[in-house]
Order: sequence, then structure tokens, then C-alpha cells
Amino acid sequence: MEILVCIKQVPDDSEDIRLDNVDKVTRVVNAFDTYALEMAARCKEANGGSVTVATIGDDSAVTELKSCLAVGAQKAFLIKDPAFAEYDSVAKAKILAAAIGKIEEANGAKFDIIFCGKEATDFAKGMVGIQLASELGVGVTTDVVAVDPVDGGVSVKQETETGYNVIEMATPCVVTIQKPDYDPRYPTIKSKMAARKATINEVEVAVDDAGSLTKVLKLYEPPKKQAGIKIQEETVADSTIRAVAIMAEAKVL
Amino acid sequence: MNFHFNEEEQEILDMLHDYAVKEVAPRAHEIDEEERFPQEAREGLAEMGMMGMYFPEEYGGAGLSYLSYIAVCEELAVHCATTSVVLSAHESLCCWPIFKYGTEEQKQKYLTPLASGEKLGAFGLTEPGAGTDAAMQKTVAKDEGDHWVLNGSKVFITNAQYADTFVVFAMVYRPDYKERPYTNKDISAFIVEKGFEGFSVQGHEMKMGIRGSSTCSLYFDNCIVPKENLLGEQGKGFKIAMTTLDGGRIGIAAQAVGIAQGAINETVAYTKERVQFGKPIWKFQNTQFQLADMQAKVDAARLLIYRAAQAKQDGEAHSHLAAMAKLVASETASDVARRCVQLVGGNGYSREYPFERHMRDAKITEIYEGTSEVQRMVIAGWLGATK
Amino acid sequence: MDFAEYKDILVVLELDEGKPVNVSLENIAAAKAVANGGKVIAVAVASEEGAKVAIEYGADSAIVIEGDQFGTYNGDVLADAVAQIAAEVKPAAIFTGATATGKDLVPRVAAKLAAGAVADATGVKLDDAGNIVFTVPAYAGNVLTDVVIDTVRPQIASIRGGSVPKAEPEAGKAGEIVKKGITVADDQIRIKIKETVKEITESVNLEEAEVIVAGGRGMGSAENFMKLQELADLMGGVIGCTRPAMESGWISRAHQVGQSGKIVAPKLYFAFGISGATQHVSGMIGSGYIVAINKDEDAPIFDVADVGIVGNALDVLPIMIEEIKKLK
Repeated sequence: MEILVCIKQVPDDSEDIRLDNVDKVTRVVNAFDTYALEMAARCKEANGGSVTVATIGDDSAVTELKSCLAVGAQKAFLIKDPAFAEYDSVAKAKILAAAIGKIEEANGAKFDIIFCGKEATDFAKGMVGIQLASELGVGVTTDVVAVDPVDGGVSVKQETETGYNVIEMATPCVVTIQKPDYDPRYPTIKSKMAARKATINEVEVAVDDAGSLTKVLKLYEPPKKQAGIKIQEETVADSTIRAVAIMAEAKVL
Repeated sequence: MNFHFNEEEQEILDMLHDYAVKEVAPRAHEIDEEERFPQEAREGLAEMGMMGMYFPEEYGGAGLSYLSYIAVCEELAVHCATTSVVLSAHESLCCWPIFKYGTEEQKQKYLTPLASGEKLGAFGLTEPGAGTDAAMQKTVAKDEGDHWVLNGSKVFITNAQYADTFVVFAMVYRPDYKERPYTNKDISAFIVEKGFEGFSVQGHEMKMGIRGSSTCSLYFDNCIVPKENLLGEQGKGFKIAMTTLDGGRIGIAAQAVGIAQGAINETVAYTKERVQFGKPIWKFQNTQFQLADMQAKVDAARLLIYRAAQAKQDGEAHSHLAAMAKLVASETASDVARRCVQLVGGNGYSREYPFERHMRDAKITEIYEGTSEVQRMVIAGWLGATK
Repeated sequence: MDFAEYKDILVVLELDEGKPVNVSLENIAAAKAVANGGKVIAVAVASEEGAKVAIEYGADSAIVIEGDQFGTYNGDVLADAVAQIAAEVKPAAIFTGATATGKDLVPRVAAKLAAGAVADATGVKLDDAGNIVFTVPAYAGNVLTDVVIDTVRPQIASIRGGSVPKAEPEAGKAGEIVKKGITVADDQIRIKIKETVKEITESVNLEEAEVIVAGGRGMGSAENFMKLQELADLMGGVIGCTRPAMESGWISRAHQVGQSGKIVAPKLYFAFGISGATQHVSGMIGSGYIVAINKDEDAPIFDVADVGIVGNALDVLPIMIEEIKKLK
């Protein structure tokens, strides 16, 4: 299977992100994209083919692309666009769709399946994958936790609130990945050193009507929740009794 | 001297740091509390290629520098001293002597699976009656023509229960040993595999610290060792042991500095959060000055370690440098860990927090792979001979 | 594009056994707040009853989609149906709940209509030009953004539960209900649902719950975790959990609160042995009153709690149950 994994560079959400430090927080590959890459790599290992990663961004994204090469991807493409931070999901989907054609040309093969994370940890919209599928005119399933090839397409397992759906789609298609019950692999010394030496391919695309349809007016911090009462009496019983009294007074019981 | 890591080494160290934070640190408490061997880390580190990182790729290693290996020993110990010693006993004490003194066949057969992490190694020198005084070895190897027969026992062997390959030392039998007692010149090194007839690993030492590391006794009861498993020349075992320990000591020194750095890191974080007398205790000058002193000493020890590692990497004499590094690093670690417990107070003494573990773990670094007293002997020996 | 032609707001209902779920009723209130003179039209799949309830909760009228393709939710099918309705109605906006299906539906509809969309909005208001200003959280709620769609119509959004309170229902309120037979062309359906498997048979309705009793890693074991049930029963609440508790196998995923679970906003939220990682807090910060119990006095959960008890969750739990029993 020829697989493309679309990744996004995001601020590391294991750090405490605030409006005033968001530019300083370390950049990492979006967690859901790392699950997508791991699933893609396992898919490739089970069924053959290759895994390509791509992102829209500037030169700073090379680090993330290389880190993907160390954990299961064979090729990496940077879709270079200085204005990438301005785009909304529709614009990104259009750029990705145009870039995919160029990447396929460079690879000499069409992708059978495109993996995206179900959402990014920064804005958590979960829209690009679906809109990309629409741009490409192909099927898309969200919240996918397993992918298996079947005749003429793929069978995917979609996590639902009460269980799962088994869904079939013709290839090519798009899947957006939910966290499966395994973790992404760690790089090895050898894969890391090989990734260091690897070249990151660059593509540029011109999309006429890539205009964003949504506009961010402002970013701001939510009002601070007023700190409550923290109780630490001599004994746990005393603390609990006092807490229940406070709750009763607040009429929440 | 330049102790900078190149970009590639730095990336490998960052990768290891990430792994250690996510996989090693969260289990440190549990493996200590349950005296459980860190099997997940042993496998994870093998997978990453860390279990033979400074050996050539042709022997299953990753071909990285010795200095970066030492940095790995330290980084692991920051999070879990047990995990650090599993790696360093394996690489410094088992892989290295085979790499240095082994025949090509021995390297292919034993080093390659060890350095790739497929197999785990251990080192057997210490005996009930021969700790610091290695010439008191009672384990004897008798030449039986096409094989050796080993009899005796070893104690305090790190990794023993989980190891596949052991580098062990024994006196080569002489009929006249009663008139002319064995000396260091009678010691030879052998490669023993788990499963050799007459060889067994027994007991589990209940230790004060590094409680997840497997420390057991080895028993040789007419153990048959193939002729070709003599490591190095016959009678050169003492030199093999001592040069191996020179390297091992740098790894242990790095472990000590890692423990100390871990203790400092945790203490800084704790004191910033802990409020007494209306402010975080970090704000008190006593806290800051004590930690500043500790950090300065840890860095001094670290530089000694890097110098010793650089000398070893460059093939220069380094016995005394390794001894100085280990002496200073281990005593610094014990001191720092003890002072961190004091700064933290009651919680420092509680097993809910890592501080008392640091203190227990630090102590062993003053004892194993040569006590501080042995390090002083080595340093004094060098002083006497050169000054 | 003449915006004047686009007046009404469609609210696509999510139904549970024919009845709109809470967030759908809240969506109606949100739509009313920014209707700007237009009508609020509820869209219900194959449920006249659902349409009636929506009207009672404030919708001006309703469209009931009828057809044999609308069994299990299929994003391709429903998106096409909504797009067909939108082509006729020309709505100014389309709202739906930011549930798993709602978040799947919104971009599909947006793509079909070449419209702008936002996901997971927590607030709506009108600007001077009549555009809806959506409040959308970023970085797990640590930052908020104000977003508008001012060049195209409709403005499509999924809106998070607990953001806009639902209206008081007006029993028997009149409103037109139009039944609409819809067929979605085969070439528009690219996903085939072969099998729907229900693994979680218990009915867990975290989003609707007024009281949630949640536990985290601090509960220590599955056995201890289940002790929360007594308090939940006592309070008429539902059990919630953090991701680590779920991953430890103590309780099913249906109970998970947080970024990768449910976003909840009960009146009362108990957090037992929960440290307060951003990923969890972002899912429960909208709760009316938060009670936190943690042995670590520095646990970040205390920063958002109305009442915090520093102590072992397992020690506090039985005492709290006894104390609350005394009050009841």
C-alpha cells in the first residue's frame, strides 16, 4: 500500500501553553499524527508498499519531518508555504490536495490511502482530513483505529461512543486516526542517524482560490476561574466534614 | 579538551532523554519498591540500539563515541539508577572485555548478540572472600585438555538472573598451589554462557538501593567451559579485570552524577512548590545556596568523568582518571542525595517521594566496581609512581 | 453572494431514540440568540417527535428527513441531505452539537456547500455586520479565539455541550413541521458501513448528567475505582474517569472525560484522585461546581476546584458518603 501521512507541527501540549508563551513552546508532531504514522507504518509492514509524510510549513518543519523518518516513514515532503500559519482548514485542504498530485508525480506512484490525525492538539478542529477528502473527491472515515486492505479498497474500524463500526471504502481514500491501543514506536540510534542524513523533498503549489473562509479576529485568555477553598485539616475526616458543609452551604448537594 | 557532543550525538542523547522521561522515570519507584528487574527498559534500550552503542557496527553496535555512552549512563541514572547499572554492567563489564581481549570468533559469537541487545551480559569477579583483594579468588579453572572445568562461586553479580553471557575470572589450577599460593598472575578470564553444564545462578541479594537490579551469586560445580572460551591470554585475567573496571568506574561515576543531578532536579521542583512561612521554601537563601553548592560539585564531578572518558576514548592511560572521577562523583552523589533529603524534610524521608531512593541508590556508587578506598589506592599508586 | 437571501438557521438535531439530546436543545437556544430576525429551523432525521420537542424548546419550525437511507449515521448520507435542504432554505447558519457525529458532519456539509465552518465553538454572538462571532477554544481551552465567517454563507458550526443553556420548554408550542423525503445519490456515498458493533452496553450519559463522580489514577485499582459508584448512586450521578483510569482498564471508555473523551458541564463535578492534567480539565472546566480530592496539595486540579480536600481519595470517599447521607 502506498500511504501518505499528513502531519502538523504543533506546540508540545505536554507543556503548559498560555497565550504569552505559545510561540516559545517546543514544536512537536501533533500527537494524533504520530498515531497515524505508527498505524501507517504497521500497515506498510504488514502489506508492503511505502509510507510518505508531508506537512505544509516552512523550513522549521524539517525537524518534525525528519523525526517521522526515524519512526516509520520512508520519504518526506515539505509543502513550502510562507503563509501557512494564516490558512484555515479549507485552505489547507486545497493546498494539500494540489500538493498530493505533485508528490505522487515525484514518487512515481499514486497513494492508496491518506492518513491524518483525527485532530491537532492545538486547535482541535478535526476538519482538514474531511475537507481534503472532499477536495480529492474520495471517501473519508473519522476516528479510525484500524485499517486493513480488502479487495479494491480498505476495511477500517471506526471507534464510536458505544463500540465500533466496520466501514469499507474504495481506494484512494482518507482516514483520520484516533489513538489506537498501542503507542508510537521510539526511534532507534540507527533510524535516527539515517533520518539525519535523509533529504527532505520540497514542493510548492500555487492554489488560486486557497483563501480561508474563516477569520480569526482575536486570541485571548479565558477569564480566570476564581480559586476555591483548599482544605487540609488535622485529619481527613475533619477536612471532609468541612468540605461537605461548604458544599451544603453552596446548595450543590 | 572539548566535551561538546556533536549534533548527531546530541540528537541521540535527546532521543534517549525523551525515552527516559516517558518510559524509565515513571517506573523507577515501582521497580525499587517491588525489587523488580526493569525488563521493559532493558528491551526498549536494546530496541533503540543503546545496549552496545559504542561498539563498532560490525559487531552489532551503533559506532557512537564512548563519551556519548557515558552521557547515556548519566541520563538514565537521573531517572532510574537501576536502569543505568543494567546498561553499564552489560556494556562496560561484559561487552568491553570481549571487544578488547576477545578473538575474532569470540567477538562474532558473543559480542555481536550482546552489543545488538539481543543478549544481556554480566561480569563475575567478586567472591565471598575476594572483594577488594582479587588475589584471594577461590574459583579454580582446571585444564582438562579439550575443555576447562570451573569450580567455585561468585557473589554480588549484577544482571545475573537475566544475563546470557558472563565474563568470569578464576585461578588456573596449579598442583603446587599449597606450597606456592595463587597470585594475581594465576587469574584468567573465561566466557561462560547461561546453561553451561555445572553453572547456576542462585539467590537474590536484598539490597539497600538499586533494588531493581538483579544481584545474585554464580555457582560453578564442575562447570564445563569450552577451551576456546578462555578470554585473552592465560594468566592475564587480573589485567583484564582491572582494565575492565577502569572503564566500568567511569560508567558508575556517571551513574553517581546522574543520581545526584536527579536529586537536585527533583529538589528544586519540590522546593518551588512547597510553601512554609508564607513562601515557597526555594525562596529561602539556605535552600538556594545549598543547591547551588551541590550543583557546582556535581558539575565538577561531571568534568572529571568527561576527562576520564575522553582519555579512554583516545586510548590514553586513564586508570587514575577513572578512579578520581568515581571517587569524587560517588562521594558527591551520596552527599548531595543526603542533603536533598534534609532540604525536603519529612517528605524527603517518605517512600512516597523519590528523595530517599536517591540516597539509597547513591550509596552503592561508593562501593561497587571498587570502593572509594580502592579508588584512593589507585590514585595514590599513580601519585607515588609519577610525582 | 447576497447575504440578505440567507436568513434562517438550521439546527441539525442529534437524536437518541427519537428525542433530541441535550446539546441539540442547547443549539436551538444558541441559534435563537443569533437568529437576527431569521427563523430557527430544526432538522430531525425520521422523528416527528424529535421535531416537536425541538419546537417546544424554541425552534420556529422543523424539517423531518424521511427516506430509507437514514438508519445508522453515515456522514456522507446525512451531509448530502443537509446540503440538499440548505440549497433550498438558504440558511445563514447551520448548527449542530460538537459530538463525535457532529464533528464528523460539519466539515462534510461545509465541503459540499463550499462554506466556512468552525468546530467545537463554546459561544456565539453577532457582530455589527450581522456575522456570527464564534468563540472557539484552542490549546485545550487555555486560549480562546473569536472567529467569523464573513465572506460566505452559510456559517456552519459544531457547538459544544454546556456552552449555551437550553431554553425552558413551552409544552404544546405550535410550529410547522415539514416532512421531506430525501434520496442521496449513490455517487455521493463513498463509505459503506458493513457492521455496527456495540461493545459498551451500559448507557452512560455523561453529557446529560447533572452530577458526575469522576476518578483518576489516584483511585489505585479497579476495585477501589468502583467504590465511586456508591457516591454516584447517592447523588443520582454518573461515573466519569480520566484517560489513565480508562487505560488501566478500571472502567470503559464511555466514561472518559477530557480532550479525548467527553466534554461535560454538569452542575456538580467530583474529582477523586485526579491530578488535573490540562487534557482532563479542558473536558470538565465548564462544570458548575467542582469538588476535588487529591493527596498532593500542589495538584493542578485544586486551581479549578471550588472546594478541594487535600487527602487520600480512598480515605475521603467513605466519610463524604456518610456526611452527605446525614444531610439527605
